[in-house]
Amino acid sequence: MSKNFFDIQNATFTASENNKVNNVNLSIEKEGEIISLLGPSGIGKTTILRTIAGLQKLQSGKILLNDKIISSKEYNLEPEKRNIALSFQDNCLFPNYNILDNINFGAKRRKSAKFKYVADDLIKILHLEGLKKKFPHQISAGEAQRVSIARSLMSNPDLLLLDEPFANIDQSLKEDLQSKIKKLLKEINLTTIIVTHDSYEAFYMADKCGIILGQSLKQYDIPYNIHHEPNSIEVAKFLNRGVFINAKVIDNDCAVHQLKHEELGLIEGKLTNQFKVGSIVKLLIQPEDLDHDDKSKLKLKVVDRKFRGTNFIYTLQTNSNERIPVFVHSHHIHQHKLNESFGIKSPIYIDHLVCF
Amino acid sequence: MIKNFNIWYISSLFITLVVAIPIITVFFSFFDITSEYYTLLKNTFLVNYISNSLILLSGVLLLTALFGITSAYLVSFFIFPGVNFFKWAFILSFAVPAYIYAYSLTAFFENYGTAFTILTNIFGEYEYNKYIPKFDGMMGSIISMSFSLFAYVYVLTRASFYYQSQNLIEVGKNLGFSSKESFFKIILPSARPSIIAGLSLVAMECLSDFGTVSFFSISTLTTGIYNAWISFDDLNTANQLSFILLAFILILFLIENYSRGAAKYHQPSRGLKAIPKIALSKKKSFFAIIFCTLLFFFSFIFPVSQMLYWTLKFPKYFQDIDLLSLNLNTITLVLISTTILIFFSFLTNYGNRISKSKFLNYLSTFSISGYAIPGVILAVALITFFAELSNLFSHLGFSSFKSLFIGSIFGLSIAYFVRFFSLSFNGIKSGYLKINHSIDESAYLLGYSKFKTFSKIHLPYLKNSIFLVGVLITIEIIKELPITLILRPFNFETFATKAYAYASQDLLEAAALPSLFLIGWASIFILISSKYILSEK
Repeated sequence: MSKNFFDIQNATFTASENNKVNNVNLSIEKEGEIISLLGPSGIGKTTILRTIAGLQKLQSGKILLNDKIISSKEYNLEPEKRNIALSFQDNCLFPNYNILDNINFGAKRRKSAKFKYVADDLIKILHLEGLKKKFPHQISAGEAQRVSIARSLMSNPDLLLLDEPFANIDQSLKEDLQSKIKKLLKEINLTTIIVTHDSYEAFYMADKCGIILGQSLKQYDIPYNIHHEPNSIEVAKFLNRGVFINAKVIDNDCAVHQLKHEELGLIEGKLTNQFKVGSIVKLLIQPEDLDHDDKSKLKLKVVDRKFRGTNFIYTLQTNSNERIPVFVHSHHIHQHKLNESFGIKSPIYIDHLVCF
Repeated sequence: MIKNFNIWYISSLFITLVVAIPIITVFFSFFDITSEYYTLLKNTFLVNYISNSLILLSGVLLLTALFGITSAYLVSFFIFPGVNFFKWAFILSFAVPAYIYAYSLTAFFENYGTAFTILTNIFGEYEYNKYIPKFDGMMGSIISMSFSLFAYVYVLTRASFYYQSQNLIEVGKNLGFSSKESFFKIILPSARPSIIAGLSLVAMECLSDFGTVSFFSISTLTTGIYNAWISFDDLNTANQLSFILLAFILILFLIENYSRGAAKYHQPSRGLKAIPKIALSKKKSFFAIIFCTLLFFFSFIFPVSQMLYWTLKFPKYFQDIDLLSLNLNTITLVLISTTILIFFSFLTNYGNRISKSKFLNYLSTFSISGYAIPGVILAVALITFFAELSNLFSHLGFSSFKSLFIGSIFGLSIAYFVRFFSLSFNGIKSGYLKINHSIDESAYLLGYSKFKTFSKIHLPYLKNSIFLVGVLITIEIIKELPITLILRPFNFETFATKAYAYASQDLLEAAALPSLFLIGWASIFILISSKYILSEK
C-alpha cells in the first residue's frame, strides 16, 4: 500500500473518446500540499477532477486517499461519502438559497471541530461583503465562483478540488485573491488540486505542477523545474517561454558543458540531458537566458519589440532566420528600434542547457 | 440496461405502457375483422367524415392564423391605448371551450334568439329572423373553434416576436426596408416555426374536438367514432376510424415537434434586448383598438354575456342544477389527477436526470405523446382494452374487473393521466432544465444524499413549476368533455358534461349556468397562471 496522502496509480480518465487522459501516475506525499494541473482547454483536466470527486467512473487504475481506495475500475465510492469538495468552474450555487445560506450549506458535512473559520470570515477573505442576502442570479460570475470556493472551504474537506478558480475574476482582484487563498489553504493545511490553463497562476499557487498534453501527464514537478527544465519539446512549447535553436555539443564532460551555435558562438552551462560530443541538438533559449550588452561584438538584428511593463522582450533574428527572445529591463538606458543591431553578452552562459 | 433496471426504469416503463394502451389498441383494431357497419361506412360516409374534417381544419387554421398573428403583432410591436390590457385579455379565450362558444353562437343568432330579442327591444316587433344570419353547421363550428383556439397561435407567436433580435430589425431598417417590408421579410419568416407550432396545436385540438361538431351535427371522424360506439355499439369500427384520425394527428404531431425544435434557435442564449415599441398615430391606433376590442369581445365577452344573460333570465336552473356536487366532482377529479400526474412527472424527470439514460429519455418522449390522442379515441380505446383484458381474465376464472376501470373515477383518472401527462411532465421538465447538473453534483459533494438533494434543492426550487402545472391541469380538466362524458361513473357530472347534456337536449338556456361556472373557474385559473402563459421564455 502507498504511504502517500493521495495517489493516482496508472489511471485512465475518460469523458469521451477525444477527451481522455491515459495512464496517469501522480502522488501528493504530505497533507496540505497544493498541486496544480496545467494544460490547454478541453484536454481532460476537469474530467480528472470530476473522477477524483467520484462524479465520473475511473476506466482503469486506482485513486487512493489516506491509503484507502476511493476509485478503481470496479469500485467507486459515492461522491457524498468521500469528503472531497469540488468548486466548479460554472455557477453551481443553489438558486433557491441566498449567498450566506449557500456558504453555510457546506458546513453540514463538516466532521472535525478544528476548522476555526465561520462563514463571515470567508466572506471577508473572499471579498464577498454586501452579498450575503443576495441570490445567485443577482451576482456576477466571478462572485459566484468565490462563493462556490467559500462553500467548499466551509465543508472542511480532506481534499479540495478547484476547477479554474480564478477564471472569471478581474485581474485587479485575482492576485489578491490568489495570495489570500494560498495563505488560507496553507494555514488550515488543506490538500488542494487546482486545475488551470494559466501557467503563472499554477506556478504561484502550487507546490507541484502537472502538465497534461496529448492525453497524458507529461511532467509532474516543482514549478521551477517545469519552467527551467521542461522534459519535452511539447512541454516547453506549451509553456511558450522560449524558442529552440540548433547547436552542436562540443563538450559534455567538464563541470561546465559547452555547445556551439554558428552565429551565437560558444554557449556554456549545464546540460540537463546527456548527448554525445558532436551531436546536433535543439537548445531551448528562454528570454532571460541571454544578457543585453551594448558593447558586445555579438550583434543581431531587432525584428520585433514587445513592451511588457517591467521589461521589453526583443526578438532578434539570426542570419539563418532563427528568432531569439531577450528580456531587457524597461528602465534600460536606451531603447532599440526595429532593424537596429542589438548586442548580446558573449560568451553566453545559461544555467540549464535544456536540449532535445 | 439490465444492470441499471431500477425504480426509474420501472416507473418510466409503467407510464409508457399506460400511454401506449390506446395507441396499441387502436393499431391492432385496425387489422381486426371489419364489421358490416364499417364496410357500410366505408362505402357511404367515410369520405364525408374525412372531407368535413379537412374543411373544418382549413377554415379554423385560416382564421386562427389571422387572429393569432395579427393580435400578437399588434401587442408586441406597437403602443396604443389598452395594449397592456389586450396582452393578457386575449388569453382569456382559453377559458371558453369551443363547444360552449357554439352554444352561445346558436343562442344569439337562432330564430327568436338573443339577437332577435335585442332588436325587438330596440326597434319594436318585426320579422327580424329573416335578416339575422345563421351561424350553424360548418360555419358555426369554424367560428366557434377559431375564437376559442386562436390564443395558441397568439401566445407562441408573441413569444417568438419578443425573442426576435432587435439587431435583425435594425439591420432591416438600415437596409432601407419599410415597416411593411420588415414585417413580411424579416419578422414573419423568423417567427415561422412558432406560428407553425401554434397552428399545429390548433389543428390537433380541431381534429380532436367532439363537443362542437356534435352540437352542430357535423359528421367528422370524432363524431363518427363516438356514434360507432354509442349508436351502433361497434367498438371495432370506432377503433378503425380512430386509426385514420390518429394518422392525421401523427403528421401534425411531427410537424409541431419539428417546428418547435427549429424554434429554439430563435432564442438568444443570453441577454435580451427588448424590442422598442412604436407609438401608433391616432388613426392607426384607432384601427388597432377596433381590431383588438372586436377580437376580445367575440372571443370572450360575447360567450360570457350570452351565458350570463340566460343564467339571469332563467334563474330556476339555480335550483334544478346541483352546483355543489358539480363543484365537488370537479375538485375531486382535479385533486386526484393533479396529484398522480405531478408525482409521476417528478419520478420520471428525476429518474431521467440522475440516470442520464438515453433509453429512459426515449421512453419519456413516447409517454408525452398522449396529448396528441383525441379524447374520444382515448376513452373508446381504454374501454376496448379493459373490456378485452377483463374478458381474458374471466376466461381464466378470475372475476370481471371491468367496472374498476370503466365508469369509475379510477378509469377516468387513467385517461386524464394519458392525456395530460405531457403537460405535467414538460412543466416539471422546464423547471428542471433551469437547475444545472453541477448543482446536484455540488450537493452530493457537500455530503447530501440523492433524496436530500431532491427535497432540499429541487423541491423548493420547483415549487413554482408545480404550482403552474397544477393550475394548467386544473384548467384542462375543468374544460375536458369527451373523456369525462364517456368514462365517468353513472350520474357523475362535471360542468362540461352537464352543459353538454342540456345542450344536446336543446335546452341551451339550462346549459348556460354550468357553462358560466366552467368559464368562471377556468378564467380564474388562467388569470392566476397568466404570468407564466405570457412569459416570453
